[in-house]
Amino acid sequence: MSADSIYLRRRLINVLAMILSACATALGLLFLFWILWVTASNGLSAIRPSLFTKITAYGAQGGLSNAIAGSLIMDLMALLICAPIGVLAGTYLAEYASRTRLGTTIRFLNDILLSAPSIVMGLFVYMIIVLPMTHLTHGGISFSGFAGSVALAFIGLPVIVRTTDEMLHLVPGTLREAALSLGVPKWKLTVQILIRAAGSGILTGVLLALARLAGETAPLLFTAFGNNFMTVHPLDAMASLPITIYQDTNDPSPALHSIAWAGALLITVFVLTLSLITRFLFSRKKVSYE
Amino acid sequence: MQVTSAEPLTRDIDKRSRADARHDLIFHRALKFCALLVLASLIGAALSTLWGGSEVLFGQGWHFLTSDAWNPVTDDYGALAPIFGTLVTSLIALVLAVPVSFGVALFLTEIAPTWMRGPVGAAIELLAGIPSIIYGMWGLFVFVPFMASIEPGLNDTLGRIPVIGKLFQGPPLGLGLLTAGIVLAVMILPFITSVIREVFLTVPTRLKESSYALGSTTWEVLWDIVLPYTRSGVIGGIILGLGRALGETMAVTFVLGNSYNITSSLLMPGTSISSSIANEFNEAVGVHRSALVALGFLLFVVTFIVLLIARLMLRQLAKREGS
Amino acid sequence: MNNLADAAAAQVASVEGRATKIKVRDAHFYYNGFHAIKGISMDIPEKQVTAIIGPSGCGKSTLLRMFNRIYAIYPKQEATGEIVLDGENILDSGYSMNRLRSKVGMVFQKPVPFPMTIFENVAYGIRHHEKLSKADMVIRVEQALRSAALWDEVKDKLKQNALGLSGGQQQRLCIARAIALKPEVLLLDEPTSALDPIATSRIEQLVAELKSEYTIVIVTHNMQQAARCSDLTAFMYIGELIEIDSTEKIFTKPSRKQTEDYITGRFG
Repeated sequence: MSADSIYLRRRLINVLAMILSACATALGLLFLFWILWVTASNGLSAIRPSLFTKITAYGAQGGLSNAIAGSLIMDLMALLICAPIGVLAGTYLAEYASRTRLGTTIRFLNDILLSAPSIVMGLFVYMIIVLPMTHLTHGGISFSGFAGSVALAFIGLPVIVRTTDEMLHLVPGTLREAALSLGVPKWKLTVQILIRAAGSGILTGVLLALARLAGETAPLLFTAFGNNFMTVHPLDAMASLPITIYQDTNDPSPALHSIAWAGALLITVFVLTLSLITRFLFSRKKVSYE
Repeated sequence: MQVTSAEPLTRDIDKRSRADARHDLIFHRALKFCALLVLASLIGAALSTLWGGSEVLFGQGWHFLTSDAWNPVTDDYGALAPIFGTLVTSLIALVLAVPVSFGVALFLTEIAPTWMRGPVGAAIELLAGIPSIIYGMWGLFVFVPFMASIEPGLNDTLGRIPVIGKLFQGPPLGLGLLTAGIVLAVMILPFITSVIREVFLTVPTRLKESSYALGSTTWEVLWDIVLPYTRSGVIGGIILGLGRALGETMAVTFVLGNSYNITSSLLMPGTSISSSIANEFNEAVGVHRSALVALGFLLFVVTFIVLLIARLMLRQLAKREGS
Repeated sequence: MNNLADAAAAQVASVEGRATKIKVRDAHFYYNGFHAIKGISMDIPEKQVTAIIGPSGCGKSTLLRMFNRIYAIYPKQEATGEIVLDGENILDSGYSMNRLRSKVGMVFQKPVPFPMTIFENVAYGIRHHEKLSKADMVIRVEQALRSAALWDEVKDKLKQNALGLSGGQQQRLCIARAIALKPEVLLLDEPTSALDPIATSRIEQLVAELKSEYTIVIVTHNMQQAARCSDLTAFMYIGELIEIDSTEKIFTKPSRKQTEDYITGRFG
């Protein structure tokens, strides 16, 4: 084979590869826009004021108000549970166990928890909270918004642990030495200086966790269960947007499907907005400690 | 510029040292407790599902794993159909998503002009952020009809190929294992892409530059330099995608069709472990419920092992570049 | 060689007749099993500037960090021997870290202001050790900032974030932060290596002023800086102290050949 034809063949392969990879990217983007478009068009046509004022009990004539409220309450409660624990755990990994065997193990297992099936976490909370509560109260309290929050907290926890760990690692070591050489004890240095220094990064982690748990359905199936009426009491079974969407989609009535799309649009907008905010926050973080 | 004199300060140093040491200890313990909670949640998930499913797991033993029966009336449960469905849909998802992910990762790291990389990369990551129930809805209301319309065509084309043709022969329901696999593929696509992309970016520029300097094409640099260097990372990313796919519930529940029959056709409806649990748990009682929790335990064990392998491979890559 | 000699000759203070602030006796240091400091003994005179010079990897920073035991936060690092400060061996396990750190302050190579306001940066360490009224604290912070030659530049922006200062200003802030605790000894670990020449010379000026109040030990890889700033110079090589003498003597007539080779740039 002449040198020219070898060269030509190599170039052809290269061009082919480039075309294929561009096609792959186009395919990915196609699906993205397809899904977003469907959600937006179906959802927008179903948005009306009654969604926010009427509860789901009225079916096709109703709205999503209890589901929206329930989601907000449970998501917030979940964050209140997993954010402090996650930040503290992440701080432990970064500051006290960075290279120890326990630290490496926990970090490793945390990464596994990150991708674990969310439905299993729902089953877990069912077994440790819903069942015992049902027994203890003789059926008085079984499914509850509280149980739902705990299940969601398990989803958000590994995200926050990981982000906190990573963000603290970005803080330069001399900062710690500088504080210690002033005679300041480690706990003060960690709380007042390090966490402040990693602040926006840690916040990003919390928002990412929120974006993740706000869209989860499976963990809520057997914990919060759902409620066609409005309630804000955490020990009541509680409605949520994902569960309502799930139920409405399973229903044969197209009117309910329409409401489901509206709910889907609301969740998608919420989650995507959070993603954009975290992106913005994160790029700003790069300013200090170059 | 004045320099003031250094006076000795009044301090009760030793008392403060002891207080500091005490506070440090309490803080350390509190932090450690929180970190151990992470450990506890994994162990808790495993143990609780084992406990909840023990009646069926230990009562029926191997029968549970090998039978495709699913009869709530006679309380005869076999996990074979859900396991089959989970594995098949995840496999389809991988087969479809991996090449596409590669393509996207290559595009984003080497081919796209710099101004394009940020926005396109962000767009692909947006796909990852969309909640799985939205995938499920889109799957059921939009993609299933689409598949129903092309499935007759599949029957006529791929269905004619000897040996594997049987996979593509079946009624054009739109629902089924293939549809679920495709929806799953779109779901895990951004995930695998971002892992592969990160892994590609760890290759030292010097290495690639010296190859370019020798006249290599972009593809050759990828094939000869980048891939071998990042091999364990790429495999780890793929296995991570598998782990995600195995555990996915909402994206597939609506489109699988909820059938416990195991057939050789991908166009037929099926079920997956997570779908079975999601569909039946709240109405189930007694042994039925126990069977579902047992399924949950199986799923947890399988995904745990898969994710473990994936993370180990990713760690291997990290060690390689001396991080 | 001539420039160095001139610079050294311009030093006013001499080392004779000064009390010893820190006595180092047979100090060894190991990290990860590696024997980094091999039996060093030296006397650091009070209220003078002692420079430690030597090629990369000779252990000068390691030795400096023994003086405030900052290595203790890392695993597998240990020190043996005696470092006697005001009659007590600070390497002794019974010696309180709090006490050590309030007597010995440190400034690092890269300026690391805390993520707080300029005022808070200086007040931070003080707050931990003393309970001062708001008015007293304001006075102390001003004192420290004046001593660090930073007051005039920041007096109107004390409430601003310290990260907004320039590199040289941040380093002076770190010095203010350290001397706010009124230590007796100040350790400077290559304090100007990350700074531009103008900022460097301001800091060197500052060091000259500070030595009337504090015992200063400075590690530098820049020989000229040592010649300009210090009264006493110690030359180290691969973990050992080769020679320690008045700066003038080291840079004009070193006793050891190794020292001479280093000074004249035969290796570095």
